Amino acid sequence: MANPISQRLARHPEAGAFVGFIAVFLFFAALTPDTFLSGRSAASVLTSQAIPGIVALGVALLMISGEFDLSVGSILGVASLVFLELATHEVSPLAAASAGVAAGCFMGLINGLLLVWTRIPSFIITLGTLLVFRAICLTAISGGRIVRWSDVSRTDPVVLVPGLVTLALCIAVAVVLLWTARDLGRYRPQNRFTLGLSRLGAGGCLLATVAVLGWSLGAGIFEPWVIDLFGVLNGRIDIGAAAGNFRMSIIWWLVLAALFHLLLTRTRFGNAVFATGGHGEAARAQGVDVDRTRVISFVICGGLAALAGVLQVCRLKSVDPLRGEGLELEVIAAVVIGGTLLKGGYGSIIGAVVGTALTGMLRTGLVLSGVPSNAFRGAIGALVIIAVIINTLVRRQR
Amino acid sequence: MNPALKNDSPAPLVQLQDIDVGFGHIRALESACLELHAGEVVALLGDNGAGKSTLIKVLTGLVRPQAGDIRVNGESLTLASPSQARKQGIEAVYQDLALVPLMSIARNFFLGRELTRSVGPVRLLDEEEMDRQASRALVQIGIHVRDTSEPVEGLSGGERQSIAIGRAVHFGSKVLILDEPTSALSIGETEKVLQYVEAARARGLGVILITHNLDHVYKVSDRLVILSQGKTIANLPVEQIEHEEAARLIMSGAGRKTPSERE
Repeated sequence: MANPISQRLARHPEAGAFVGFIAVFLFFAALTPDTFLSGRSAASVLTSQAIPGIVALGVALLMISGEFDLSVGSILGVASLVFLELATHEVSPLAAASAGVAAGCFMGLINGLLLVWTRIPSFIITLGTLLVFRAICLTAISGGRIVRWSDVSRTDPVVLVPGLVTLALCIAVAVVLLWTARDLGRYRPQNRFTLGLSRLGAGGCLLATVAVLGWSLGAGIFEPWVIDLFGVLNGRIDIGAAAGNFRMSIIWWLVLAALFHLLLTRTRFGNAVFATGGHGEAARAQGVDVDRTRVISFVICGGLAALAGVLQVCRLKSVDPLRGEGLELEVIAAVVIGGTLLKGGYGSIIGAVVGTALTGMLRTGLVLSGVPSNAFRGAIGALVIIAVIINTLVRRQR
Repeated sequence: MNPALKNDSPAPLVQLQDIDVGFGHIRALESACLELHAGEVVALLGDNGAGKSTLIKVLTGLVRPQAGDIRVNGESLTLASPSQARKQGIEAVYQDLALVPLMSIARNFFLGRELTRSVGPVRLLDEEEMDRQASRALVQIGIHVRDTSEPVEGLSGGERQSIAIGRAVHFGSKVLILDEPTSALSIGETEKVLQYVEAARARGLGVILITHNLDHVYKVSDRLVILSQGKTIANLPVEQIEHEEAARLIMSGAGRKTPSERE
């Protein structure tokens, strides 16, 4: 009979991935301690994985809803292209970035609508759109051309926000924070952990309110707010030269992961996603609009892939026609390693984050221990199979 | 006999008239009829493929009929989705569509009508309240579960069925539909389900019971409706038809006139 600890672990889809993460970490730490246990290698893992990591959040959500998106790599490519093409043609960079993300949402919408209208498996639909969306990039950037920001400007684009707009935004954020703090402060759950967490959240919101208002009064009213868009979205985080190449994309990855974890586990929409993937017909019988849930999941997945593309452009400052190719398999592998069930209804965002970090760590670890970099794909393949076996065993403990 | 059965009673709770449903070139229902009064248990009988499940899916908004009239409390309406049917106070327990196995008991209990609380501009699930209310509601109707945050997957068939029934009894305010509720249950569990049916009737609900077990029908039902090949072939109070004849009708599908037609 299963003991309570393994049973409790089995409630968490990401449990297997955590154990695997620690095992792989310890393995490489023992093998190449000098190079692997350094800020530089941590930075390399996190920076390289932030982009696939953001794509994986959407793929995980969609997989939990019981669907599959093979077209995320192509969506990332098209969104990158839309963003940079517009930005290099005198469109405001903020509007261009929004257009890129909107394009991704639209492509996700196409996938979702095709699914609910035709009832063809999403694997087939997105296999088709993988090729169609890729063709957009290939025909728009033909003849080996690469779209480069440096062709139009030597300096990175800046967004100027007028002082009064900044002030209004800050006040709006402060109001929302205070509102949240009030609701969290009033919450009186029986569970002491939840109570502590609510209190902590309320305190955090109050502190953030003070910080936002202080900052806006100090800087906002008098001068326009100058935003270095590339820097904010995916610039280098300056924490000393020796620390390694940490980038803003890591922060966006973790912030988005926290938001989507909340969405999936603490909202009615998240519950509908689990129910749709777990037993769609039973969910429908209980009044859950499963088709709407599926379409929204596809839109989210497309939007996140596009956002990842926009962030990547902010670092690479160029787009080539094959941008994002092959990404879908790497991301799906990471999500499956993270404990999400391929047939849906079970999985987690935290698992997707750990799974993506694990594949990145494996790549860095293999390179550092002198294994040819091409062997990496084989290692990922083996890891997927091992992970699924472990996750299946863990799940049986429930 | 239940007073609600009298023909001069107010408008029936539910009235399905001349319902036609087809899937491709298969006609699942052809002018099927069903009537249900408050405080009445109707047994819906028929051989496999007679259209019983389709008829109740029409009533719960899962299947849209091509023709026919649906009246709830005398008011003609279209039930375009399960949530519309639920708003009318119609709850069902389906044979195969009961619960989502990988989700917890409480989340299954509140699926589609989760309790939430506001946190700033967003609404988050109130899990503690859902756990509390679900276990209280289940205990009230005599179902004891260890922990409502436990996934349904680990429960026995009987436990799952009781939870699905408990949910329908808890939320159903007018009509309770049970599709083969006892097929997977032990004798003790079956007795319990029949008690739920009687308790629901006593509360003034209308109950539709689909079953293959005629003993259960005679134990709890007030009236039986027999379907054959998508048509209603009998609609009689249980006192007016013998056990053997009901069985013969279900198997042969040869119709017997409804009381109103005989008059």
